[in-house]
Amino acid sequence: MTMRLIRTAMAVAVAVLAAALPALAKDSEAQFKSVEAKHFTKAEGVELSPEFADYLYAELRAELTKAKLFGQVIGEGEVVDAADAPASIIIDGNITEYKKGNAVKDALVGFTAGWRSLKVDTTIKRRSDQSVIVSPQIHVRASPRWKDKVLAKEAAHQIVKELKQALKDKGASK
Amino acid sequence: MAQRGITEAKMVSHRTARVQAGVLLACGLMALNVRANDPKPTPDNTIHVELSELVKPQSFARALKFWVADVTDRSGNAQPMLVLKARNGIFLDRTPAEITKEGLTNCLKSADMLAVDRDSADFILTVYLFRFGLRDSSGMDYFGKVELAVMVKNPKTGKSQQVAAAGTSIANVALRKKNLQKNVLENINTAFGDALRNLLRGEKLRDAVTALDVPAADKTPAARTAPAAAETPAVQE
Repeated sequence: MTMRLIRTAMAVAVAVLAAALPALAKDSEAQFKSVEAKHFTKAEGVELSPEFADYLYAELRAELTKAKLFGQVIGEGEVVDAADAPASIIIDGNITEYKKGNAVKDALVGFTAGWRSLKVDTTIKRRSDQSVIVSPQIHVRASPRWKDKVLAKEAAHQIVKELKQALKDKGASK
Repeated sequence: MAQRGITEAKMVSHRTARVQAGVLLACGLMALNVRANDPKPTPDNTIHVELSELVKPQSFARALKFWVADVTDRSGNAQPMLVLKARNGIFLDRTPAEITKEGLTNCLKSADMLAVDRDSADFILTVYLFRFGLRDSSGMDYFGKVELAVMVKNPKTGKSQQVAAAGTSIANVALRKKNLQKNVLENINTAFGDALRNLLRGEKLRDAVTALDVPAADKTPAARTAPAAAETPAVQE
């Protein structure tokens, strides 16, 4: 009797897994034909090198490729076929604030005091009609003992995370 | 007592001299070591950068032929073939200018957009290379960057426009030398392909070509329409 129960439970588990697999596979499929990341602009007073914007752009593209949400991650200013435009998105942003942190404060006080801080306003819009899909505000912090480019890496990761969440929410609401 | 004091003082002086000599020797050896550690290209630390997949250029309104005239390295890098200095160095097997010329030519040839010679070309491309290789990163990965500017010239009209393009890539750091070399090669390959893609499929090239392309057939009607437009108001008057 117990064995039969175990077998039934196992069969149910296998059936549930088999039903869930196509759904999982569908999630991993590319939802958009292409995505274009642009170089983020800097607000007045933000003291960051042009190299930082370059690095953020590269990290963002790397994260977008990793996300597997897009058929193609294209470079800035590349042409897209008109037919693919409705299924293509553009990621643009503006670095609104950068605080370089204080190493002494970090060493003496600790508890994230004196950490570097970066705020980025991001806009993710559809290429065809320029309608905004989501516009997350990203705030990342890191120890001043690390390079400022660590912030770019973390910011890129956050942007893609927010984008994934937004697309998931939109998909669920449909 | 005084004699003893002098003897002790002498001993201290000798010891100091020995320490000084030791420090000097160590400094000299370190300097020699640094000079000896300057990486040299060998078959083991040389990589061959080549496009893994040829970039298909965008299509234009009419079939155009391009000619890659020259690639000039403007990076100002004294060692353009040295990609990474750490861990006995990683070198390129050819200069970045040669790699770029070959890559660009192959891409154009694959799409039948390469002119057979300079005279038959609709546009002549002169490439200026500003960056080719690794750049400063966060330390958690490698940041590859290729940056170039191309002077697109219409030999018939003599007019030209500059088109900038850049390619970037991020690759993971590696501990083993073999993996390090593989990751760096992959990184530069991707950045290079990305830069060529950015150039050949870019809106900037499309705009430049559209602005500069004045085929002989189009010139005559343009010249004819001008007097016609001037005549129209006269008729109205």
